[in-house]
Amino acid sequence: MTRIIQGFRAQGTAYLFLLPCLVILGALLSVPLYKVVEYSLYDNVIVERNPTFVGLQNYRDLLTDGAYWSASLNTILFTIGSVVGHIIVGTGLALLVNSDINRHAQTLFRSLLILPWIFTAVVVALNWQLLLNPFGVVNYALGQLGLIDEPLDWLGDPALAMWSLLVISTWRGYPFIMVSFLSGLQSIPQELYEAAEIDGAGFFAKFWHVTIPQLKPVIYGVALLDLIWTFQLFPLVWLTTGGGPGRATEVLSTMTFRFAFVDFEFSKAATAAVSILVISAAFTILYLRNETRKI
Amino acid sequence: MSKIEIRNLVKMYGAHQALHGIDISIAPGEFCVLVGPSGCGKSTTLRMVAGLETISGGEVVIGDRVVNGLKPKDRGIAMVFQNYALYPSKTVYENMSFSLRLAKMPKPEIARRVNDVAQILELTPLLERKPGALSGGQRQRVAMGRAIVRDPEVFLFDEPLSNLDAKLRGQMRAEIKRLHQRLNNTIIYVTHDQVEAMTLADKIVIMKDGRIEQQGTPDEVFHDPDTLFVAGFMGSPPMNLIDCIVTPTGIRLSEVEIACDVPPSLTSGDKVVFGIRADDLRPSSEGAEGVPIKAHLDLIEQLGTENLAHFRLGHTEMIGKTDGRTALSAGDTPSFTLQMRHAYFFDPATGARLR
Repeated sequence: MTRIIQGFRAQGTAYLFLLPCLVILGALLSVPLYKVVEYSLYDNVIVERNPTFVGLQNYRDLLTDGAYWSASLNTILFTIGSVVGHIIVGTGLALLVNSDINRHAQTLFRSLLILPWIFTAVVVALNWQLLLNPFGVVNYALGQLGLIDEPLDWLGDPALAMWSLLVISTWRGYPFIMVSFLSGLQSIPQELYEAAEIDGAGFFAKFWHVTIPQLKPVIYGVALLDLIWTFQLFPLVWLTTGGGPGRATEVLSTMTFRFAFVDFEFSKAATAAVSILVISAAFTILYLRNETRKI
Repeated sequence: MSKIEIRNLVKMYGAHQALHGIDISIAPGEFCVLVGPSGCGKSTTLRMVAGLETISGGEVVIGDRVVNGLKPKDRGIAMVFQNYALYPSKTVYENMSFSLRLAKMPKPEIARRVNDVAQILELTPLLERKPGALSGGQRQRVAMGRAIVRDPEVFLFDEPLSNLDAKLRGQMRAEIKRLHQRLNNTIIYVTHDQVEAMTLADKIVIMKDGRIEQQGTPDEVFHDPDTLFVAGFMGSPPMNLIDCIVTPTGIRLSEVEIACDVPPSLTSGDKVVFGIRADDLRPSSEGAEGVPIKAHLDLIEQLGTENLAHFRLGHTEMIGKTDGRTALSAGDTPSFTLQMRHAYFFDPATGARLR
């Protein structure tokens, strides 16, 4: 006990400095987290003054709801599609802007290609809505090229909406992967490429045997992080399709929002939120384990 | 085994000229060492032979082929890099077999070659390990093994021992020499360490500022240096190089008149640089022949079999050598002998040797 007190005396100032941060974190993170879990165990919270405790009934309802499963499937499609899109586009562009070209051009392209990441989701969503509008630029261009006969409703057609959303999400998210891979690429010793060249490796052999293995730790960590972010992504989906048409692009986050602020079923919303939390937490644990292993 | 001809090799980086017309002719099976201070162009020359740098002018011939336009893999070379450049994700076996796999060699043949070379280099127990689990010396051997399995016409070494500690460096040096005696390949070896150059080379090329200062056998460049730079660069401790003035009877060296013969081209009053190695500057008591001088000893460095004696002659600091058993200490003023038949004279303006 005395040792703890002594330790606190010695490091007390440090804890004092930490205190505001701990209080804010507690208030903004722990309390709402606890509340959401609590709400999911009651019926008619917030709208009813005296909600009733129903145990796991909300979870049973949610898991037997077909809409929940279709939203889950959409979430998986959207998440995997986005992450794969981010990685493919991000890697390709990272390789391009890492290549040995004019230094000014290199800086210019690097700066330009990061832009999609800087815009807020609202701007991105509005821009793409205009672009993909039946009377928008995309339809006009495709029509002029003779690729389509009549304008397509990219965000309004259930068969196209998810694909369009994936394009938007890929455009919006690739810069993070590109920047991360770029720094990874730059840390690969040039000697390895030279050794590979002398060993007779061409472009693809070098990419496969030198670049990929050297980037592997970065790829794994960044892909997991991207997975966590995309899995719970809300604004981009809500502002472009709103989960529609029908439920064609409804993901867990938009569903939760709909439960809470359209249907005012806060208990159901809390239950769906907890399900997102559990899955995100699982990914996060994977990510953190990977990071500690790196250290 | 192939000869290598480097003819009038030029390298430009933008407007900066890094190499000014390098000519080197290396006989089949010869061990050629490029040596010089950093920035002298030795690595650039090697990398141009390897095909890792473009050639701005001149040509490189390996065997009977001009290889200027060929890719590195088509030049019949193998290279050992300063930092080994082993593929970290591959095992020792995979590292050594990579080039053969890319060349689509049948698997049993690959296994035979890799195992043979692993045996020569005592790498057999390490074949399944990854480079991260190897010591510096082992990595170095793997890097050499990777080069040897390709059975190249020419080996290129780029400062391969500079990351090893002194003891290991000595061992690996001997190992490289033994390997050369066994395989008898043509080798170009780059180093900044003149001891490595002396011990390994059949031919030493000493470079400075993108030009060749001198090339020849270790014996020639050590005992018969063409320039002031070579005289100062080769040998440890470095040769004593002292500004002096020619007198009617010999030279005046730091206010001390020394009677000696000077090259016939010199006349009284000329300024020259006088050079003598520590080995040729010994205590008179050891019975050396030559011109005696009175030395003011500042410092004795004991090396065991011999000692380095740092002393002053007038205002000039010089280094001589004594037998390890000769008892001298700082503050003594013994007589040292300049063995004038091993003295050198250089032109202070051009650095050229005066004979």
